[in-house]
Amino acid sequence: MDLKQLTDLHGPSGNERAVRRAIVEAAKPLADEVKIDRSGNVICLKKGTNPDKPAVMVAAHMDEVGFIIAGYTEEGLLRFRPVGGIDPRVIVSKWVAIGDDNIPGVIGALAIHLQSADDRKRVLKYNDLYIDIGAKDQKEAEKLCPLGTYAAFDTPYAEFGDGFVCAKALDDRVGCYNLLRLLEDRYPGDLYCCFVTQEEIGLRGSQGAAYHVPAGIGIALEGTAAGDLGDVKEQFHITRPGQGVAVSFMDRASIADRELYRQVLALAEGAGIRHQIKQGVTGGNDAGSLQVGGGGRKTIVFSVPCRYIHSGASVAKLSDIDDQLALTREYLNNL
Amino acid sequence: MLRDTLKTLLSAWGPSGGEHGVADTIKELLGGHVDSMRTDVMGNLIVEKYGTDDNAKRIMISAHMDQIGLVVTSVEKEGYLRVHNVGGIGMKASEYRRVVFENGVEGVLVSQPVQQGEAKLKDMFIDIGAQDREEALSMVQLGDVAVYAPEIFSLGKHRVSAPGMDDRCACALLVELLLYAEDQKNTIVGVFSTQEEVGLRGAKVAAYALEPDLGIGLDVTAWGDTPETKLPDIKLGAGPAVKIMDSSMIATPMVRDALFDAAEAAGVAVQREVLPFGGTDGAAIQHARGGIPSGTLSIPCRYVHSACETIDMRDMEGALKVLLQFVNIV
Amino acid sequence: MHIEEFLRGATATPGLTGSEMAVAEYVAAAFRPYADEVKIDRLNNVVAHIKGDGPKVMFCAHLDEIGLMVVKIEDDGSLRMGNVGGVDPRILPGMRLTVYGREPLLGIVGAKAPHLQTEEESQKNYKREDLHIDLGLPVERVRELVQVGDLVMLEARFTKLQNGHVATKTADDRACVAMLLKAMQLLQGMRHKADLYFVATCQEEIGSYGAAMSGFNIEPDYAVALDVCHGTTPGAPPLSTHKLGALVASMGPFIHPVVRAKLMDVAKAHNIEVQTAVVPGRTSTDADDINIQRGGIPTILLELPLKYMHTTVEMLDMHTLEEGARLLSHFAAAVDASWEEELWT
Repeated sequence: MDLKQLTDLHGPSGNERAVRRAIVEAAKPLADEVKIDRSGNVICLKKGTNPDKPAVMVAAHMDEVGFIIAGYTEEGLLRFRPVGGIDPRVIVSKWVAIGDDNIPGVIGALAIHLQSADDRKRVLKYNDLYIDIGAKDQKEAEKLCPLGTYAAFDTPYAEFGDGFVCAKALDDRVGCYNLLRLLEDRYPGDLYCCFVTQEEIGLRGSQGAAYHVPAGIGIALEGTAAGDLGDVKEQFHITRPGQGVAVSFMDRASIADRELYRQVLALAEGAGIRHQIKQGVTGGNDAGSLQVGGGGRKTIVFSVPCRYIHSGASVAKLSDIDDQLALTREYLNNL
Repeated sequence: MLRDTLKTLLSAWGPSGGEHGVADTIKELLGGHVDSMRTDVMGNLIVEKYGTDDNAKRIMISAHMDQIGLVVTSVEKEGYLRVHNVGGIGMKASEYRRVVFENGVEGVLVSQPVQQGEAKLKDMFIDIGAQDREEALSMVQLGDVAVYAPEIFSLGKHRVSAPGMDDRCACALLVELLLYAEDQKNTIVGVFSTQEEVGLRGAKVAAYALEPDLGIGLDVTAWGDTPETKLPDIKLGAGPAVKIMDSSMIATPMVRDALFDAAEAAGVAVQREVLPFGGTDGAAIQHARGGIPSGTLSIPCRYVHSACETIDMRDMEGALKVLLQFVNIV
Repeated sequence: MHIEEFLRGATATPGLTGSEMAVAEYVAAAFRPYADEVKIDRLNNVVAHIKGDGPKVMFCAHLDEIGLMVVKIEDDGSLRMGNVGGVDPRILPGMRLTVYGREPLLGIVGAKAPHLQTEEESQKNYKREDLHIDLGLPVERVRELVQVGDLVMLEARFTKLQNGHVATKTADDRACVAMLLKAMQLLQGMRHKADLYFVATCQEEIGSYGAAMSGFNIEPDYAVALDVCHGTTPGAPPLSTHKLGALVASMGPFIHPVVRAKLMDVAKAHNIEVQTAVVPGRTSTDADDINIQRGGIPTILLELPLKYMHTTVEMLDMHTLEEGARLLSHFAAAVDASWEEELWT
């Protein structure tokens, strides 16, 4: 599967079905074993060539931030809520795809001509915003989009500029993309590629995986924030697209195992893999679950820098995505 | 001796994620005096002293080795270090504070004036005396952590003040318990835990793996005996505190009551602790697996999470007596 | 035992979060005639087991109540209080309480008298720190009878109102424990394949610890959490409330869609009205913590609407409670091993 196919799939947290199906199909010819566990995670085993080498679990999450239909207005507009953290300021005047049939909807706003000076200053919150599918009344809206239907950003995948890509859900389809590519090879130790659910709403699927996967080392492949444009002070950039895979020493949910961290940086240097250090302690990810679950593990996080993460149009550098894969492969081959 | 052990542990360097130095110090103090000693994947130091009873209960007693700190996230081109907190760092406690890195590099944590409101951590930087970014990066790396520089001093006859009292005083207590418990009924599984300040992570992993019969967290608690600070109703020097409740747990009544019984049998006056905030390793043990009856014994401490955390040695001595009794009666 | 009688007794029996012993005994005794085995575990969860050969299902409602705790005894004999769970301080002035010292003592919550307050002060709500408990005793006697850490229960009064409505304290969540009991009674006359566990969980109000631990210990194939949700009252924000007359089944990422669909099929087949609530994240109930136990447990949430939640006059519709029990019993009878294949497709 390529990155476009993966980001085109819709899978907000709790509704990863479409992504899970596609991944199971793509993984079956590559892995020795493909199972779905009781958290809806897809666990793929690729047996190692050397029984003396330790087992490693590498996780990427299948879910993306999205929306869920929560109510209606009499005129047939849809009331909705975010699933995962989406700032309401980035969704105005954007497009969504609703339900299994991908019914198109738009998140409109009161025309600027009709707003007073005060109106324009007010931040629109979720209770002030609606999705419009063009329904003639509430009855039609309810029929087409029943309560609890999920919606995802509808953004066309585009490669642009100097090796950049713009799409929705780069966080974390870049990780899923690399996880599938990892399955193409065999490594010294057993490899568990874990495509997990519900990361965006509390690192939940990975807790189930952490409980039962028999691996003492955990790597999370993620997308992370990059704030390098727009005259932002250097101390707030966090990561920069184009400077390679970002390795974290710490984030809100986990502290990288010190030895593993040093080893990984040395490997990156030695193999000439472009890499940077994530310069911030922002965000939390599945490594937090992997580290404390199932009796504990050494963990580390490899991230692809994504500008405008958690919006409908996130931006990353394609070479960084390849660097994330290269570093993971280098680590697995040098256990 | 308790005061000496305390001073030794207060001098060790060890923020969350970097506790190995503290663990090494403890290993030296305990070596040869216990039945087993090992380190797990989180860096927890697990030490056992077996009980004599045929039906000896395994009591996990946890004190955390980590202290709060500041991690370097970026370096300005003029050589100043930008930082993020590791654990609960207070702004007021940080201004113009001397800090020290693992490799010995010292610095000053500087607070800058802000346009509006109060200075936050992003407005602060560490000055390590470097001329520029290149020199700074030859002295420290991104991801290195600094802690408040150790400065141990006495207040009057009974009180000691230093950074890291939370939770080295409890580590000292646990060390002394392991040294002096002899032929006790139950097995003591002493856990010198890691990463408590960032979410009880070490204790969670240890409790899950060890599956003890009972758990006791050892930590500091707040105070209510200075002007304007009246709650919680805890006084320094009035004895160790048996925790009834805090934000993270409600002590299992059976364990809490056994601590009161142990105190009575040992002739130690104890205080009753109700804290509307805070959490300890005791909670991590209580909520592990299918639930493990647990409680916490606390050392009253003033100025928690400052560089001058202050305790009373009489409360420490009382706590040791309570624990020595507890491991025999429960 | 009749459900209304059970509820009246259960809501009057003390069981603050973390100290549920008395109400755990009460509930265990009520459950006993209707289960093969009833145990109280070491953290005060009450676990009733109705044996079966089929998939394991755990139904749970929480046992514990919010209340207060003595945090300080003032020199004048008045008591200062701390929260055990989320008690809104606005309900406290003039509240009658029971302080569980060496013996149960009646106390009244007092505040600064209105004629002593400034204009500004009287425009603001009382904060818990400014309120005290008056035991009507001299300080020496107070110190003999009361200690820091003693529990304080809010006033228990069960009031029958019009149209089958009742108002009581701790309908959150003992009304749902009553629903479990009624379901167990109904199941006596029904065939089921599933291996059923009915659990009254402890410590929900401080973080759903009882449910987490029960989920871990029992490791069911499916779990149904029961709690209360908000009934419609003036001024509530949009999409946050429901009418009292029917149960609410949540939808959202924390709820397993296939298990929920099965519940809705059962409701339809038996003409039981069920409303829908869309919850985009945490439900703030036991469901959240059961869901992630061990390798994961497919979980759904069913709620009883209540007006005035976390007050001593929580109001519900008894008919809805009875319909809830009916739904649970039919659901329990419907659980089948064939559900497994449909879970993830």
